Amino acid sequence: MPATPSPYHRLNPLTKVVIATVGSIGAFALGGYAGPLAIIAVTLGLATVAGVVRRLTRASVLLSLPIVISVILVSVFTRAGTTVLFVIGPFDATLEGVDFAAQTVIRLFAISTSIGLFVLTTDPRALVLDLERRGVSPRFAFVAVATIEAVPTLVERAATIGESQRARGLDTEGSLRARLRGLLPIVGPVIITSLTDVEERSLALESRAFSRPGRRHLLWAMPDSAPERVLRWLLLAALVALIAARIAGV
Amino acid sequence: MGFSWGRFDTRTLVLIPIAIAINIVLGQTVSSVLKVPIYLDSIGTVLVGVLAGPIPGLVTGLVTNLLWTYALPAPFHSDFAAPFAPVAAFIGFFAGVAAQWGFMRSRPNTDWGRLAIGVVVVVLVIGGIGFYGFLPFYTDGSFSFFNPDATADPFFTILGYLIGIAIVGAIVGLIGLLVFKRDLGVAYVAIAGLICGVVSAIISAPIAAGVFGGVTGSGTDFLVAAFQQAGADLSTAVLQQGLLSDPIDKTVTFFVVFVLLQALSRRFVARFPQGEKAVGLEEA
Amino acid sequence: MLGLHGIGYRYAGFARPVIFDIDLDIADGEIVGLVGANEAGKSTLCLVASGLAPGSIRGTLTGSLTIDGVAMAGKPLHEFSTRVGIGFQNPATQLSGVTGSVFEEVALGPMNLGLPARETVERTKAALAMLGIEDLAEREPRRLSGGQGQLVVIASLLAMRPGHLILDEPTAQLDPEGTRLVGEALRGLGASGTALLIAEHRTDLLDGLCSRIIVIDGGRIVQDGPAAATLEDRRLVDWGVDPPSRVRLATALTTQGIDARIALP
Repeated sequence: MPATPSPYHRLNPLTKVVIATVGSIGAFALGGYAGPLAIIAVTLGLATVAGVVRRLTRASVLLSLPIVISVILVSVFTRAGTTVLFVIGPFDATLEGVDFAAQTVIRLFAISTSIGLFVLTTDPRALVLDLERRGVSPRFAFVAVATIEAVPTLVERAATIGESQRARGLDTEGSLRARLRGLLPIVGPVIITSLTDVEERSLALESRAFSRPGRRHLLWAMPDSAPERVLRWLLLAALVALIAARIAGV
Repeated sequence: MGFSWGRFDTRTLVLIPIAIAINIVLGQTVSSVLKVPIYLDSIGTVLVGVLAGPIPGLVTGLVTNLLWTYALPAPFHSDFAAPFAPVAAFIGFFAGVAAQWGFMRSRPNTDWGRLAIGVVVVVLVIGGIGFYGFLPFYTDGSFSFFNPDATADPFFTILGYLIGIAIVGAIVGLIGLLVFKRDLGVAYVAIAGLICGVVSAIISAPIAAGVFGGVTGSGTDFLVAAFQQAGADLSTAVLQQGLLSDPIDKTVTFFVVFVLLQALSRRFVARFPQGEKAVGLEEA
Repeated sequence: MLGLHGIGYRYAGFARPVIFDIDLDIADGEIVGLVGANEAGKSTLCLVASGLAPGSIRGTLTGSLTIDGVAMAGKPLHEFSTRVGIGFQNPATQLSGVTGSVFEEVALGPMNLGLPARETVERTKAALAMLGIEDLAEREPRRLSGGQGQLVVIASLLAMRPGHLILDEPTAQLDPEGTRLVGEALRGLGASGTALLIAEHRTDLLDGLCSRIIVIDGGRIVQDGPAAATLEDRRLVDWGVDPPSRVRLATALTTQGIDARIALP
């Protein structure tokens, strides 16, 4: 999180996740060009307020790039359509295909930016603790936070085990086959050591009254405000209305 | 011991984050190293389903995909995992049920008679999937792959034969494994994996087609393109691609978990709520 | 007062019990050492005394466990945690992994008890002070050294205000610096009134710290007496225990013909 959080950063985490969810599901429900483009515009606007617009665009483009290439391949060249534009080998590109591909790409970008804005401006632990304060079980809070910590820990462990295997002569560079065969002696021990940890961890947690049922009094609270509450309900209501309208065929 | 939906005791709650981390790290690594239709992003989910029960397995799958999109920063972030949460949830649930019914048990030193029956069943299942899953899309009764009209581009014919060879290869490989290890459990695990793969493909096809226009970002999108070019509409093409890649992925996943269960100490496995039942432990 | 009477325990899935006929009382404020060979039953005894066996790991328990007069059979595990805490060897797996600072980590236990925030903060500060680690309060638990990690673990357990604290080989995975840190902290704890049961291979650590030493061999208690006498007992080696270095030195000198007894400073 930045040293001086922007007004957007300081919003309650639940508000930010609602914005992200409405934006991403809304992009999907709206369809067409205008809707997703509007969502992208709003999201980038909010990102500018938050001071993360450059990081957001770069991250979204990078993440979407492989998918976009696939979309173009799948949709442009092969969607059954009438107006053929050009031909490559057994594949022909149609106007309908280009149209479909363009819509999909824009929709994907809208989803990516909405969620990306949330990820860049919110500490996931803050969200989980806020949810717990609102009544979500402490057990779910634990699982969520523990997972966020577990991923980098697992990667570190893989790196350590990789190092010790390399010291014993394991070859991990080179051709695809070599890399694949090099991956296996690392994956096995990483998984097994992570799993044997589970026993010790659960015993240690029992000594901290982890299995006691009931709520806890947290030491922190995220600020929330009435305007934010109103905004959340409005956004969710709009999303529900939108989905209902689409189902009804409007 | 009857059927159990699973329990969320402390040990399970500690296992789930580690299982999710295994899902995400493996899934991300494998898909970037290999461009083949094996994602291996469900090993943790299946493991929880087996050790803790169907409901914990379901939760693991669900939370994996949700956190993958909403809570993890780069480089482990994926914008596109969340919509597939229902598929992941199903996989965990199915694995739990299969384990409750003993499908993940090792059955060593099986006699040849029962092994033979196992071979026959596996061949029938794969053949059945192939027959009902693949062929109707490709032929109208005769073996002209991909295009029922006679204007089959040689490119597609070759592709069709490659797929046929892959199916035969899978059958041969599984039979070899059964015979070599003399463990009937191999047959059970294979069947569980195959069924799981088929159903996953069926569930994920509409999601992939509807939300993402049919792509997954991996090399199999090429196949979707090919199927569409041959005349299938988007949903069907996605389903065809799924039916090719998901059974392979899920069968490999189930086998990995099967091997893991043998590798973990009995003491470790027994302390999980469904551990004893899943592995078939007797009192030592 | 923590009492085990006629205790025997068998792990799940195993035919034979690991410990038999254990009769043991630990008085309030007593500091007791537990020594024995590998697989003699030290860890099992610790797990039983803390309620984790059979509470968490299942298995079959015979006999009775009473803490402060309350029979603990069948009680849920969180009720054990306010009466007896247990720490293990590896600090990395005992730190919860869900907290961003040492303060939060130590506060985790009291929070789980559902205590009001003010009480949680008080207990956390007191526990940190008891171990002299207030300066670690803002550090990330993941980045602590082994010895520091163990101190945080002990503080986290003490924040639950148990009357008894069991430590199963607390220094086994620590380097010499970490061992020294933990040893000093344990000496400081003696005055706090919490009863300690410390299972250890490193008898040097127990020497001068404990008032009483229990030796376990083959699943039974074979010796239970004052620390000095027990640590100098010649049968320790037969029971698979390394005597403290001062005793080994004295023995070596004696075999050279020099009559020696070495006392602690």
